[in-house]
Amino acid sequence: MNPPAERPTMSVDSPDLELLQRYEPLIRYTHGEQFFPTEVERYVRACSLWAHDPAGRDELLVRQDFLNLRELVEPRPAPFGTLHYLRFIEPLGLSEAAEAIAKQVRLRTILKNTFHPGVGRLARGGLLPRVVDALFSISFLMRGRVPAAVAAAAEVDYFYMRTGQDKFVYYGRVVREKDWTVLQYWYLYCFNSWRSGFGGVNDHESDWEMVSIYLYQDEARLIPEWAAYASHDFHGDDLRRRWDDRAELDVLDGHPVVYSGAGSHASYFRPGEYQSEANLELPAWLDTLRSVWNRFWTGILGQEPNDPFRIPFVDYARGDGVAIGPGQERTWAPVLIDEGTPWVSQYRGLWGYYARDPISGENAPAGPMYNRDGTPRSAWYDPLGFVGLDKVPNPRELVPLLEKNSAELSNRQGELEELIPRKAEQVQELGARLKSLERQPHLARAYGALQKKIAALTEEVHALRRESSESAAMLESLNRRLASLKSGVPDDPHAHIRYLAAPVRVTQMRFGRVAQAWAAISLSVLLFAIVGLLLLAPRFLPAGLVTITLLFIVIESFLRGAFIHTVGQVTVLLAVIASIILFFHFWFWILIAALLALAGFLLFQRLRELTG
Amino acid sequence: MRERKKVWQGKRPVAVTIVAWGIVLLFLVRLYQVYLPLLQADLLEDGIHGPLTRGMRLTPTGAAVLISAAYLIQVLVGIVVLIGFLRLQRWAWVVLMAWTAVSLSITLINYFYSNPNYIVMASDVIIAFALSQSDVQRIFRIRTDADEPAR
Repeated sequence: MNPPAERPTMSVDSPDLELLQRYEPLIRYTHGEQFFPTEVERYVRACSLWAHDPAGRDELLVRQDFLNLRELVEPRPAPFGTLHYLRFIEPLGLSEAAEAIAKQVRLRTILKNTFHPGVGRLARGGLLPRVVDALFSISFLMRGRVPAAVAAAAEVDYFYMRTGQDKFVYYGRVVREKDWTVLQYWYLYCFNSWRSGFGGVNDHESDWEMVSIYLYQDEARLIPEWAAYASHDFHGDDLRRRWDDRAELDVLDGHPVVYSGAGSHASYFRPGEYQSEANLELPAWLDTLRSVWNRFWTGILGQEPNDPFRIPFVDYARGDGVAIGPGQERTWAPVLIDEGTPWVSQYRGLWGYYARDPISGENAPAGPMYNRDGTPRSAWYDPLGFVGLDKVPNPRELVPLLEKNSAELSNRQGELEELIPRKAEQVQELGARLKSLERQPHLARAYGALQKKIAALTEEVHALRRESSESAAMLESLNRRLASLKSGVPDDPHAHIRYLAAPVRVTQMRFGRVAQAWAAISLSVLLFAIVGLLLLAPRFLPAGLVTITLLFIVIESFLRGAFIHTVGQVTVLLAVIASIILFFHFWFWILIAALLALAGFLLFQRLRELTG
Repeated sequence: MRERKKVWQGKRPVAVTIVAWGIVLLFLVRLYQVYLPLLQADLLEDGIHGPLTRGMRLTPTGAAVLISAAYLIQVLVGIVVLIGFLRLQRWAWVVLMAWTAVSLSITLINYFYSNPNYIVMASDVIIAFALSQSDVQRIFRIRTDADEPAR
């Protein structure tokens, strides 16, 4: 059990703001982070409001400096399919873009706020993911994207916003549902610079992040039981950690500690560098081909699964930069929100630039209450279901609930113990009667009817026995847990987690300088080699390509310390190609050999059986 | 004296025997290739009379000797690998797999550009599939547990 200071309680009558402040998180950022939680009103004042109509036209509705929260929620009738969005950075001309980038460089130098990636993202993936990564980068030429100059201008503008008033705001909401009191902390960032600043997947204007604390009531006190952080690729139960789970949740003076991803602002429970993976969107036929190949590769050939279409991205949540929260130099300015807050419920548009990215990564998010398409956000309308807490009782109610369950099951077992022998006896009586009707042609009808009755009754007895067996096992398990809880042993705090987000281990990050340099230049060198081959020896292009590719794979595997593994996989791949060639030329003889082998095997088996 | 750790005490998997026979087959093919250039150049009957090089270039006799020597080296390496393989040494598995990869690459390139050697190709395929069997990899300590190949 946590010491009292680690699990501080509050009176159930505490005002919402006091509750929020008592458990407000402490957020630790990575050195180099450029954006921090900001005030909605100041952000909106710095934006313009636009409408994107179904025909693809963009119309400026309210100019920068003229927009405020009252203007934002003004009713604006529009055709179906119209999307409203804010723009934090206005369209930039060439000279403005160059100026923004120059200012960004100067700013980082003055503030000494430069991010050092350490071990590069590319060195963590193999050669194939790097090829796919290059395609991913090229895809930005065709998809909508937030330009690099916009990221630079956002960084500079945000700096000036902070210079005026350095205020870090969270928007707190308190929800009371079933036996739980849920505290939600919403944070608005002016910009998500994960791609441009930290080699991540995407950039977009504005970013909404959320942390929740779940309290249960014990008599007149509220006690924290769960903390849930929104993060990439995780859903439901995987989002929450139990308050006493010291291995997975840092709590400082009763405040949970959040490690924020650099640029992405995703929240993590432990400091470190997280490898997230982005799936490249593939056409359906290619996706089917990939899954068939994967089944053949792993199921038939017994090889390790390998998906080159997953690109590794690193989310840096080192926690070595600015910290905001209780006891820190920078503290929170809390603001209460609920459905009655106009900008929360009445503005359904995007909170930043709509980049027309069909896979949405570069489009700005909507507000706390809505998704990008205007539908309600589940984290808002169902905060318990969002983290899989619907099925979890209040800890105070747990033992009585289990006792009730146990009593019900015991009663049912008692009933079954009485019912099963009675029914079984009935079956036997009917069976005896059936036997006496056999070989009596004039009783055929009665015989058939009795047979059906016996079949139904037998099925019923079978089902009752199965129920008895299953509920006995269930009762045993339930009683074991009950005894364990009563003796003061809590449940395993990780039992509910299916996929645990864990930072990459230091041993996995020990790629040498040569490996990193190779990761950076290998693709270009490969392309140069192919060009050289095309110009100097076009006659040997296929052989040259095979040789160059194999050479690159071998170098790569040496540098990544995976030579044995890679050689194994390459050889099996070559063997598959050679098998196809052999089958193409010698299918008749292969068939003959297979039939002969089968005949020989069967002959051997039968002769062995014959001779005992 | 400490008892020597026995790497593998159970029945030898069929795949290991198949690979061993594959190596023997390749050994015989390479042995034939050692003699072939020497026979074609009549060097076994007449001995080496002419020069092996002329300036910076090999003479036909020199080329025959060089090719034969290259295959001889392969035969010798094959013998060493076969011994290591039968003693279930990890390095033997790695060398054999790498060797098979190189051999398959050469055979495939030959298939597209000149006359392919189907016997070598078939032997390589059998060796590659046999070596990639999970029980074989475990015996050679390439795969450390049921699912995770060693790196």
